[in-house]
Amino acid sequence: MPNDVMISASDLTKAFGSFRALDKINFEVKRGEIVGFLGPNGAGKSTTMRILTCFISPTSGSARVNGHDVFDEPLQVRESLGYLPQRAPLYLEMSVLEYLRFAADLRHLDDDAFRKRAKSVVEVCGLAQVLGKEIRHLSHGYRQRVGLGQALIHDPPILILDEPTSDLDPNEKAEFLDYLKQIGRERTVLLSTHNLAEVEASCARAIIVSRGRIVADGPLDEIRAKSGRVRYVVSIQESVGTGAYRGRGAPPKKSEVEEALSKLDGVKKVGELPTDDRAHMVELISEQDVDLRPEVFKLVVDKGWVMLELHRDSQTLEGVFRNLTIGDERRNRTLTASGQAQGEDDEDDEDAAEDEDEEDEAPAGRPKSATGPVDAKVAKEEAS
Amino acid sequence: MRNIFIIARRDLRAQFNSPVAYVVIGGTMLLLGILFFLIPHMAVQGVAVGGFWEIDRATMDEMFTCLPPLMSLFVIPAVTMKSLAAEKGSGTLELLITMPVRDSEVILGKYVASCAVAFILLALTLLYPFAMFKWPWHLGALDWGPVWSGYLGCVFFTLAAVGVGMMLSSLTESDVIAFFMTSATLVGLYVIGLLAGSLHWGVLGDAMQFVSFSTRYQSFTRGLIDTRALVYFTSVTILCLLVSFRSLESRKWS
Repeated sequence: MPNDVMISASDLTKAFGSFRALDKINFEVKRGEIVGFLGPNGAGKSTTMRILTCFISPTSGSARVNGHDVFDEPLQVRESLGYLPQRAPLYLEMSVLEYLRFAADLRHLDDDAFRKRAKSVVEVCGLAQVLGKEIRHLSHGYRQRVGLGQALIHDPPILILDEPTSDLDPNEKAEFLDYLKQIGRERTVLLSTHNLAEVEASCARAIIVSRGRIVADGPLDEIRAKSGRVRYVVSIQESVGTGAYRGRGAPPKKSEVEEALSKLDGVKKVGELPTDDRAHMVELISEQDVDLRPEVFKLVVDKGWVMLELHRDSQTLEGVFRNLTIGDERRNRTLTASGQAQGEDDEDDEDAAEDEDEEDEAPAGRPKSATGPVDAKVAKEEAS
Repeated sequence: MRNIFIIARRDLRAQFNSPVAYVVIGGTMLLLGILFFLIPHMAVQGVAVGGFWEIDRATMDEMFTCLPPLMSLFVIPAVTMKSLAAEKGSGTLELLITMPVRDSEVILGKYVASCAVAFILLALTLLYPFAMFKWPWHLGALDWGPVWSGYLGCVFFTLAAVGVGMMLSSLTESDVIAFFMTSATLVGLYVIGLLAGSLHWGVLGDAMQFVSFSTRYQSFTRGLIDTRALVYFTSVTILCLLVSFRSLESRKWS
């Protein structure tokens, strides 16, 4: 049913002078979907959202929101969506209630409807304590809540939120994401962020943009699998422990472990992970379709080592994100590096490492071994 | 139509929520009083005569001579700088425009609100002739004809001047720049007429007098309702509003 497509963009292009902020973007968002719109700063997230809300016009291409063309029927488009721009720019001299009232007036809600909606918005956004306060006296977190409140006041079928959680504290964030899941059941939500944990917590689907192009679009699992690689973590006892089973012979050296593992079929890369002195922890990267766990087990048994841990995970979203968009960051750094010459040795080193790693295009690259897995771990912890 | 009213009402409240409107209106009233009673001013012919007490006539002429320059200098720039420039700067315009409103409704709503503040000031100045010639004082028999025509002139002058202010406000994102540009433009438009009137500059002088607000406005103070001036002020208003509208729309393409 075509009616189920709430937002669609086809060949959307926006050029600011010679700079292409968006380059032929195509995507669709269906009813009831919560879609995370991801990308580094300056990738074109806000530009896309501004086009969808008819604040700016595309240079070429078209977009439809709720069946209305953003160019020909801007009023109908705006009526069917609630929009929260970045950093929630509100009228500071108004009180929260006045502001909600103003938003409702412009949406042509009558008194009864306003009272009903305001009640639910206040409840959902947690505004009861600040209703009478002037917005200028509110913290950024509360301003963001008010911004969300005005976007929801007319109960729109579509919500477009530009970095809605950027100023919230961790509790507020968690609450907001819970709430988002709740309202997302009957609404369509397009939410931009660069916090990946948030996307993992609230969205089933993500669109990743980089330099004005879509580099990935699909369910999170698919995107994770997009890199086509699987990561294993193996941990081998390093010193004779206190346990009953101590293995055969002397505990292995780090180089022995790495060498033996790298000789297994299907292993593309072996890297060391930081641990204490009781164990060697090693990560293996392999292709998607081979399962290395039996091989690893057999190897450890044959050698008579003690295995403390073995697990497999697909690459985290963070890793994929870095792979897909790292070119952006590298470009930024190259400019700085050429401008400021030496001075920043650390950054230059990192740059060089990235250059080696990332010479081939997106999916084939991988995060730097020094920081990649650590980041991934952090992301996993945040997500859980 | 309804949206224009809603936007205008919000803007008007915002104006009176900040001290700017009070300071500007209060300050102008005070200055007007000082200029009217105490300071000798240049009459139309360029001859210095005294303040109200020295003229020794029941006339409000001097108030109408002082009002437009004061409004050009402070009131209208202060009122219009907020309307678009400040909103663009703080980003609130994005939220307003992405509501289901037309760009033209935003411009007109803000124009109406700015005009309303200026009209409130004009209405307050009515206190002067009433207090002096009706109640509580009776300083003579005032000819009310030129007073009403003077107010009509002020109203049309205000409509055009607020238009100019809106236009300049729509072209920048800084309210300070908007203030000074508007102030300079309006004072300039006022002064060139006076200059051209006293320095006989031929065609250039005629052209300056043609565009100047002061030459258009002066006949009203003498009790003349000049339809050419009405048409001129209305045209300037419409032109400026169109430019503001286009300038607001241009965000889409830049």
